[in-house]
Amino acid sequence: MFKKSTTLATAVLVAAGLFLLSSDGTTAEPAPKPKIAAPCKQCHAPDEKILRGGFAGVSKKAETIQIQIGPATWLVKFGDDTKLTGAEKFSAIPKEKEIAIAVTEKEGSLYATGVSVKPPAKIAPEKLMTTEDLSKLVAMGADKGNFTLVDSRPGARYNEGHIPGAISIYDAEFEKNAGKLPKEKDKLLVFYCAGAT
Amino acid sequence: MPAWKKAGNLVASTVINLKEAMDKDIPHVLIDIRPADEAKKEHIKGAVSIPLNELATSKDRFPADKKAPIIIYCSTVKASEEAFAVVRKWGYSNLSYLDGSIEAWKKAGNPVVSGDLATTIVYVPKPRPGEISIDEFKGIAETKPGDKLILDVRDVDEASSGMLIGARNIPTKDITSKLSDIPKDKEIITHCITGVRAEMAYHQLKEAGYKVRFLNADIKIDKDGKYEITKE
Repeated sequence: MFKKSTTLATAVLVAAGLFLLSSDGTTAEPAPKPKIAAPCKQCHAPDEKILRGGFAGVSKKAETIQIQIGPATWLVKFGDDTKLTGAEKFSAIPKEKEIAIAVTEKEGSLYATGVSVKPPAKIAPEKLMTTEDLSKLVAMGADKGNFTLVDSRPGARYNEGHIPGAISIYDAEFEKNAGKLPKEKDKLLVFYCAGAT
Repeated sequence: MPAWKKAGNLVASTVINLKEAMDKDIPHVLIDIRPADEAKKEHIKGAVSIPLNELATSKDRFPADKKAPIIIYCSTVKASEEAFAVVRKWGYSNLSYLDGSIEAWKKAGNPVVSGDLATTIVYVPKPRPGEISIDEFKGIAETKPGDKLILDVRDVDEASSGMLIGARNIPTKDITSKLSDIPKDKEIITHCITGVRAEMAYHQLKEAGYKVRFLNADIKIDKDGKYEITKE
């Protein structure tokens, strides 16, 4: 459990309605706020000292970063000694971009010792297809172009908007859906997700 | 996908997505771009009729919010592509065409209706959790009801150049250490200049057990307490 100042922690528990008072007056441990967002768990193990989730905002004047982790919002203070990697400045980080904040406790608040923005995946250039080439293929159609396009994002993202002609196979459920791939092994397969770049 | 969208390429969305937006009241815009008489015979409920031949001159009818989810449908893929290109050029980034159009919608067992369609697009973005409407904020600033307190969470030097009359100033960064100065028996309404710090203060106060909302808009205040609120 992460330690916060006693007053604040108590207030938080009361507010969340999770303060379970047993008959002898002792308190039970409440469900803690998540420190890692579900998609981050695919590659990262939970860590008490690192918050992983979506960048929700920053205020230079309040020296505070806001990060969204599932339903929970965390506020983390930062200062001149906070190390930022993957972006030139906090205000350059796009909203909802995956970030990790290494946190420590300072004067009763969470303090960021480091913030890192998720870097693009490293993919060998010969395995990469440009959007331009892909748009030519898509315009040709799957049959004529002899390819299968796979959207690896969660199904809901596919439903919201996908590249025409793509099929949906969420990466986390890839194994059990491998049957959706074409039987011809020499057919060109093109995968895309929410952004290696 | 972001690179694909950014380049202005065609994006398809599914009937499952549209159904969910309707069922869960997620704000969206649905546009039927078929000829008006064809749409009248049978269309998806809630669709706005803007026939393809009127589309290019209908820019003013589209929402101010360029991130509004807009879904278009037509009878042919070619017409959808054409309509997509027109609207995408106006900067709407969450634009898509309905994959399979009205046929796929019906095939999935969803109902269609007949009769006149709306011709005006109405789009109200969903507020963020804890967001107060601008009108309600203005009402509180004017009438200063006793059960509410406007909390100005800007830094002291910013607040010194002009505050709302009746407001109290506690900067966002000092809130957790100054909770004893904030009354528990009033609803707290926070504001800053843009809404960013106001939202942070909202989260801090909410966690501390307060009844609280925040102004998610730009606000300018002069030294007499006169103010102007704008939202992009």
